Amino acid sequence: MDIMLLAPELAIVVTGLAVLLIGLFLPTDSKKVLGYLASLGVLVALALTVSSLGTEATLFNNTVTIDALSQFFKIVFLVVSLLFAIAGIKYTEGHSNTEEFYALGLFATIGMMFVASANDLMLLFVAFELASLATYALAGFEKKNAKSLEAAMKYFIIGSLSAALMLLGISYVYGATGTTSIPDIAANSGVLVSSPMGIVAVVLLLAGFGFKIALVPFHMWAPDTYQGSPSVVSALLAAGSKKMGIVAALKVFVVALIALKADWQIAFAILAVITMTYGNVVALKQTSVKRMLAYSSLAQAGYITMAFVVLTPMALGGGIFYALSHGFMKAGAFIATAAVGYMVLSENKDSADPDHIDNFRGLGKRMPITALCMTIFVFALAGIPLTAGYMSKFVLFSSTIQSGFVWLAVIAILNSAISLGYYAKIVKYMYFLPTDSEKVSEPFPYTLAMIIAAVGVLVLGFWSEPFIHWAMEAASVLITGGM
Amino acid sequence: MAVGDLAFLIPVLPALAFVLTFFFGKKLPTGGAIIPIAAIATSFVISLLITLNLLANPEEVVSQSYSWFAMLNIGILVDPLAAVMLTMVTFVSLLIHIYSTGYMSHDKAPSRYFAETALFTASMLGLILSDNILQLFVCWELVGVCSYLLIGFWFEKPSAATAAKKAFLTTRIGDVMFLTGIIVLFSDLFKIFNGNVPDGVYILRFDEIFAHIPDLAAMNANILGMEVSHITLITLLFFGGAVGKSGQFPLHVWLPDAMEGPTTVSALIHAATMVTAGVYLVARTFPMFIAAPDSLMVVAYVGAFTALFAGTMGIVMNDLKRVLAYSTISQLGYMMLGLGVGAAVGSEAVGIALFHLINHAFFKALLFLCAGSVIHAVGTHDMRQLGGVAKVMPVTAVTMIVASLALTGIGIPGTSIGTSGFFSKDAIIESAYLMGETTGSWIPYILAIAAALLTSIYIFRLVFMTFYGKPRTDYGGHESPASMTIPLSILALLALVFGGLTSKIFNTFVSETFVNNFVNMNIHELATLGGYHLAEHAGEEPMLVLWLPLIMALAGLVITFLIYGLRIVNMDSLVSRNNPIYKLLYNRYYQNAIFTNFISVKVIYEGFAFAGRAVDRGFDWTVKWFSDLAIESGESLRQFQTGAVQNYATAVITGVSLLVILIKVVMEVLQ
Repeated sequence: MDIMLLAPELAIVVTGLAVLLIGLFLPTDSKKVLGYLASLGVLVALALTVSSLGTEATLFNNTVTIDALSQFFKIVFLVVSLLFAIAGIKYTEGHSNTEEFYALGLFATIGMMFVASANDLMLLFVAFELASLATYALAGFEKKNAKSLEAAMKYFIIGSLSAALMLLGISYVYGATGTTSIPDIAANSGVLVSSPMGIVAVVLLLAGFGFKIALVPFHMWAPDTYQGSPSVVSALLAAGSKKMGIVAALKVFVVALIALKADWQIAFAILAVITMTYGNVVALKQTSVKRMLAYSSLAQAGYITMAFVVLTPMALGGGIFYALSHGFMKAGAFIATAAVGYMVLSENKDSADPDHIDNFRGLGKRMPITALCMTIFVFALAGIPLTAGYMSKFVLFSSTIQSGFVWLAVIAILNSAISLGYYAKIVKYMYFLPTDSEKVSEPFPYTLAMIIAAVGVLVLGFWSEPFIHWAMEAASVLITGGM
Repeated sequence: MAVGDLAFLIPVLPALAFVLTFFFGKKLPTGGAIIPIAAIATSFVISLLITLNLLANPEEVVSQSYSWFAMLNIGILVDPLAAVMLTMVTFVSLLIHIYSTGYMSHDKAPSRYFAETALFTASMLGLILSDNILQLFVCWELVGVCSYLLIGFWFEKPSAATAAKKAFLTTRIGDVMFLTGIIVLFSDLFKIFNGNVPDGVYILRFDEIFAHIPDLAAMNANILGMEVSHITLITLLFFGGAVGKSGQFPLHVWLPDAMEGPTTVSALIHAATMVTAGVYLVARTFPMFIAAPDSLMVVAYVGAFTALFAGTMGIVMNDLKRVLAYSTISQLGYMMLGLGVGAAVGSEAVGIALFHLINHAFFKALLFLCAGSVIHAVGTHDMRQLGGVAKVMPVTAVTMIVASLALTGIGIPGTSIGTSGFFSKDAIIESAYLMGETTGSWIPYILAIAAALLTSIYIFRLVFMTFYGKPRTDYGGHESPASMTIPLSILALLALVFGGLTSKIFNTFVSETFVNNFVNMNIHELATLGGYHLAEHAGEEPMLVLWLPLIMALAGLVITFLIYGLRIVNMDSLVSRNNPIYKLLYNRYYQNAIFTNFISVKVIYEGFAFAGRAVDRGFDWTVKWFSDLAIESGESLRQFQTGAVQNYATAVITGVSLLVILIKVVMEVLQ
């Protein structure tokens, strides 16, 4: 076994521990260095992952696998984590618990990365919980802020419930097949097909993953938590942790339980339609931008879930590519709200809701870079051409139509039209509504993170072909592994 | 590294200059003019080197193509045709930019001006470089947008805003035809490939298109009971685009109004960019036109008619810039005629037309910049208020006279002595004669000869009224600064000698674009597709044919000298509202009344507006209903989010239970 295969994970672990320890000995003023250290560590891990692209291996008695799929999602997680770390530099400024913030963030990243490479349900569950526990704590990072605590508490309770359901689902699968190894389950799943346990196991697992992906009706924590958590943490939740749910679902359903395809395809079809419609429609009336983004990420999850319904290589590739695009768009959008929130709070310390859309008035004049980046992100989320969002929707929707699910594509396209209503509203507030407030300086770490995300969105929109190709390769792992 | 590898920089540099000037120009002296000037100068050097390289090694055509995604390619193609255009556009644009530093020095927003002209130049260069028709169309539209911005540069003036709109909308008619042509072409080619396009083949690339001309010619469409081959249809639609952009009858109406922008913009539009795009489009797709003789005939007739028609209006205008505008339309007509005679002389037509295009660019830029120089110094463009400007502005006067001589085409037939215009315009008129001989269509030749007389009359009328005699009003004025007179002198030199020096080399160089080059077309075979034969050799024309254009030009000079110089005829009796011919010409054949007031406003605007309103209302109602429904349901669905975590947990458990039941039910239904 070559331990170097785990180099990216090790880099993150080492950075996480180092940040935690160094932080203990630093005075609050100089804790800024931790942010740089964490960003550097993530960057190193990212570089290590990119340099090992194309490797295929299994480790630890076939419980960890490294293939195109796991590499793809690891890069998604690391990119989101990088944006999180950079934006965090500003967010944690003057905070005495900076080391905890970064250590938790990095440990959550580790969990997500192991979910991406898990080849065994037990490892998958443990990694899933690692990421979840770290993010529960992160959501409540502002200990004196009641909203933040409420967010963390709700997230934790529903999270625990879902974990219980997921574990129950895993136990059914184990009970029927006698194994927790994903490829072995696929080989022995005949038992599940013939027994009523199959449907129950599928639904329980779906509830567990649906919690992370935030599918209706397992989504109810999401708006409260995304709104209450610090924006930078919301970015990690919406852009990173949600993708963890998706990759886990891909592994468990498309590979392990492919024999039960008929059952879960129906379930995903129902959930996809409900989720995207519910998310978009409710988002229309929100006045908090963070809450609006939370509902928008429900809708986006609904689109991505279509891949499970269509289940062709192109659709799965499209869904995976969408996950990458969504990582950039959503993380960027949340970081933009973080920048706005920072501005609002620095002007008025007691501002009740810094994420209210009124704070976006005239942002084009006040914070031109933030406003421009935010425009790119919301346009991408709405699926305007030449952005990552458009290409993702294009691949996913056209593959849906090609496979004969025209009704599903029509619903998705109508949903995209609805979504423009609230995305355009943000742009309208930023550029067309007047304000008498002054121009303010934009904090550098936020701007840097937003610019990285915006460049990502545009690159994926302009030169999407290599990335789509890469996503297709990742999807082919699922197809050959499962069918 | 071959210089051809740098070809992509030619449009990219001015495009970058646009970005830089747009954002940072305000902080730099003279509106950041130095950025576009440096960028375009570099582009010019690259273009010139590529052209010289092509002259020495004709096989080194630059052709690069990148697949962007799916059915989109970006590519560049620099063959002789593109190379000479690139060199001309960068050169003229460079001089105009230098001149503009002086001309725009008193303006409020020079940085916006320089940013927009840089983008204008970049779009035109992109258009020329395109290796496929779709990319060409995209740049073509960009050129249109930039022209809108620049004609309406002083948008606070209502007349400028209207002129910009008019230019944009009028050319749009042509653009729609062009786009329709591309769509027909694409679907035809797709049919030819049976929908299976091999990898690495981009069907809208020019070499692919040209390779399938025989197949296109074999396809027939039935339009209004007439059998029309698809190649004729497509070329006519393309020509429709060219008619709009290059101001041919009847879509020329925008060009005179386009004078509302700064004079330098007029120079840029009329000489280097925009209007030549239409001519270039026909030249670029010339092999298709060769296979469609009917289209070539249309090109020749429209061109010749436009040349004469615009000339008649040019002789009665009193506005300095408007005379030049009609002159441009008329000269563009000549270029189109030059292409149209391809029906007789084959690919040589491209050389002839392009040669006139290049020469025209030099002397027309010069004419406009001279006019600009006068306007800059004097502050009016009404010729009736001028006179005797030569005394105040000697350099401008001399260069203007040189430009006029070049425009009229003064030279000695049979020798290589003469101004630029002499070589190119006479070549077109002689080819028109040849076409009359081979095909029996003499009308284009007759129109062209008559237009030559008018050309001479309108331009020397302008010269005499402006520069000769005594000032008619007290206008003051001074010679323009060196940044303006130096470009004038350079252009004057070129207008004088470029034609004589290069006429032979140029024609063979450009005429071979489609033969032994990136494509090797057998022009005669293509002509056979169209069912006709080309003249085998350029026969000896009678002496009279060679001398007639010169005689016409001199006659025009003499007539204007008698009328405006010596004043032997009292113009006031002729120039009156009671003279029906004058009235007809001065009102520009009532085109405004016919096109704008009747067709545009009454028929199109009101008719379509009525239909549009009905459809709109239907759409509005549907959209509003849909959005109301969405917003309302958003409001009611929000109630579900109670905020109490026990409800959330209930939802999860209910969800799980319902899902199990739902799956069961759906499975039953499906089975």
